[in-house]
Amino acid sequence: MFRRSHVALVAACAVFAACGSESNDDADKGADTNKAAEGGGGGDPIKIGFLSDCEGAFGSFFEPTASGANLALIKYAGAKPAGEKPTDGVTGATIAGKPVEIVGYGCADDTADKAIEETRRLMEQEDADVLIGPLSGDEGIAVANYAKEHPDKTFVNGIAGAQDSTLKVQAPNFFRFHPDGAQWSAGLGDYAYNELGWKNAAIIGDDYSFPYTSLAGFVAEFCAIGGQIPKRVWAPLGEEDYSSYISQIPEDVDGLYVGIGGSGLISFIKQYEEQRGRVDTERMLGNVFWDDPLVLKEVGKSLVGGVTSAMTAADSDSPEVAAYIQGLKDNYGDEIAGAGPSVFTYGYYTGMTALIKALEAVGGDVADQSKLQAELAKTTLSGDEAPWGDVKLDSNRQAVSNVFLKKIVEDTTGDGVPDVQTFARVNEVDQTFNGAFSADTPAPDRDNPKCEAGEAPPWVGKAEDVSFAKK
Amino acid sequence: MNQFVTVTLNGLTLAALYFVVASGFTLIFGLMRVVNMAHGALYLLGGYIALEIQTRWFEDEGSGLGLSLSGASDTEYSVFAWFVPLVLATLIIGVLGVVLQQVFLRWNQGQDLRQALITIALSVILADQMLAYWGGISKDIAAPSAWPTSITLPGDVRFGFFRGVVVLAAALIIGLGLYLIIKRTRFGKIVRAGVDDRDMVSALGINVNRVFIGMFFLGAMLAGIGGVLGGTMISLAPGQDTAFLLNSLIVVIIGGMGSLGGAAIGALALGLVDAYADVYLVFGDVDLTNYSIIVTFALLVGVLAVRPLGLFGRPA
Repeated sequence: MFRRSHVALVAACAVFAACGSESNDDADKGADTNKAAEGGGGGDPIKIGFLSDCEGAFGSFFEPTASGANLALIKYAGAKPAGEKPTDGVTGATIAGKPVEIVGYGCADDTADKAIEETRRLMEQEDADVLIGPLSGDEGIAVANYAKEHPDKTFVNGIAGAQDSTLKVQAPNFFRFHPDGAQWSAGLGDYAYNELGWKNAAIIGDDYSFPYTSLAGFVAEFCAIGGQIPKRVWAPLGEEDYSSYISQIPEDVDGLYVGIGGSGLISFIKQYEEQRGRVDTERMLGNVFWDDPLVLKEVGKSLVGGVTSAMTAADSDSPEVAAYIQGLKDNYGDEIAGAGPSVFTYGYYTGMTALIKALEAVGGDVADQSKLQAELAKTTLSGDEAPWGDVKLDSNRQAVSNVFLKKIVEDTTGDGVPDVQTFARVNEVDQTFNGAFSADTPAPDRDNPKCEAGEAPPWVGKAEDVSFAKK
Repeated sequence: MNQFVTVTLNGLTLAALYFVVASGFTLIFGLMRVVNMAHGALYLLGGYIALEIQTRWFEDEGSGLGLSLSGASDTEYSVFAWFVPLVLATLIIGVLGVVLQQVFLRWNQGQDLRQALITIALSVILADQMLAYWGGISKDIAAPSAWPTSITLPGDVRFGFFRGVVVLAAALIIGLGLYLIIKRTRFGKIVRAGVDDRDMVSALGINVNRVFIGMFFLGAMLAGIGGVLGGTMISLAPGQDTAFLLNSLIVVIIGGMGSLGGAAIGALALGLVDAYADVYLVFGDVDLTNYSIIVTFALLVGVLAVRPLGLFGRPA
């Protein structure tokens, strides 16, 4: 991806042949070390590094992601919040009698190089034993590769959803306890082709690994059962001016799958409305971002009628979900709890929970991490540990779990923000889509996977109807 | 056809924004031979100052962490809530431009390289300060709530109101205003004379320093206005400063440094090439739209190959 700002700086340097490097040292706002050791047991502390984004297209998810990780420490390691903001840290956490210290809340900006810079800082300078993170697709691939070079440390993914970080990189010490972007799209191709009657669809997404993965899941399923994809449009992540990309979306297709995320989605929806009059949600599907609480709050009214899918469902009536949301509310208040159903909060929560569970099982031993890694590989989550559905890992240390299909509906709770209505659940979604994806198939990119008819993933036609009763 | 009209309008509105920003850049260069590499930083700072004024004075009190992807709130904004920040931010940036010139550039008059390096240094320092204060998340300045979001043109083409009407009109008014200042006022006369022969103007007993102050005030103000327009039309984020500096450089290199008409033509060329290349760079099955930025540089190379001083440039 071309970044104009970088091009400009290079140009400026070229013109005058001398120029300092632009440093962003002041960017790691949340990186204050907080000692959680007091009150804990004896021995060397277990040091955990936290990595998320506080800048770029997903910068707004910094506190929600931290709240998810902290909630797991609060529930399963006896921690207390150290301040009003999640990134203020936690105190008093212990695992297997050993004190736990979060060495820093690392802040990246959705680029791989910044994520690696922060990973290095946390792992090498702050000397963390384990990393939880990162947030975004390209960052995830970079951190997985970093993990491969550092087998003596352990990495649990935050919420980065690019397929490659587990399927292709296969670092034995990198674990992802949530479905990847393609898995989140499971069931949408089936729904579009068989329920909505789409024969062809265009796709638009951000031009990097996560949307490639997210849209790949739709393409693989939709095309396997007979659909066609005549046009794929890619815009840079966090683009602010989508007008030229919107004009490239053909009007003579049955539908459009939108894989734009973060701050860009807000601009996209506003500009789509300006340019086409309204967001014609009846012929649109959205990826994991569409029903994110932050997105619904800002442009939800334009998205009413749209269908989306992911591993969480805000309207769930299960007591485990209610307890999870209540936990966030008790510790961090309504605003953070409102973002509880976001996959961003939830991914860090399940990741940290799995990590605590495995550390507990190996007696908090981080000196020789092969035991911890073996334990993580067989760790499963259920009940309160994974309120939206049981999680287990496959042989690539990638989660197999369920996914919900949801429709965005008019507000029913009176807060002025549209709500989510879940109508189906796809069970046991695995990363390979019945072999459509493997370590040998081309990685999802602008042109891959190709749109080819073939054997449908096992869940096609088997989505289970779900209706959460309104209380 | 609809697509073509929309794409053309996109190009024109981008060109309008580029023109507003680049005209300040080219005027300063034309008179004083100062390549103000901090112009982009002034653009972004202008936008941020307007945003700060709008948030502090005109926004309902928020609470909590203010989690928001676009930094927007639910406040209804009056027309004042947009114009007051526009005017104040523009004036503040104008004054800042004068300070910059008086403190850092005045005593380096005529030393092009040194001035360029000083302004690069300032732009890097400003960029980091802005990142520290306003953070790395992109933010919008809110347009008045009463303004429509879009207009429908004949042929059922829809286009954003702010983008299509306000930005375009602002560029036309500013272009006309600058033309009148340069062609019809005493200040403009001195500026034009100064562009041709600075030493002679100074020898004639005109206080060149005062003219320089005026010019820097005007040039910086244009960057400030551009920042507010751009912050409303697109958004404000780290990196926009260098992006707009680069755009301004391309515009004035195409148009010829120091020429207002050149800036207009350069901005049009850049805006339209940008917009068309984003959409029409498709040859059969080969989709090259992802490489559209290269076309921008091809344009630059093409113009420089034929007219090394730009379309309207004259030797210094």
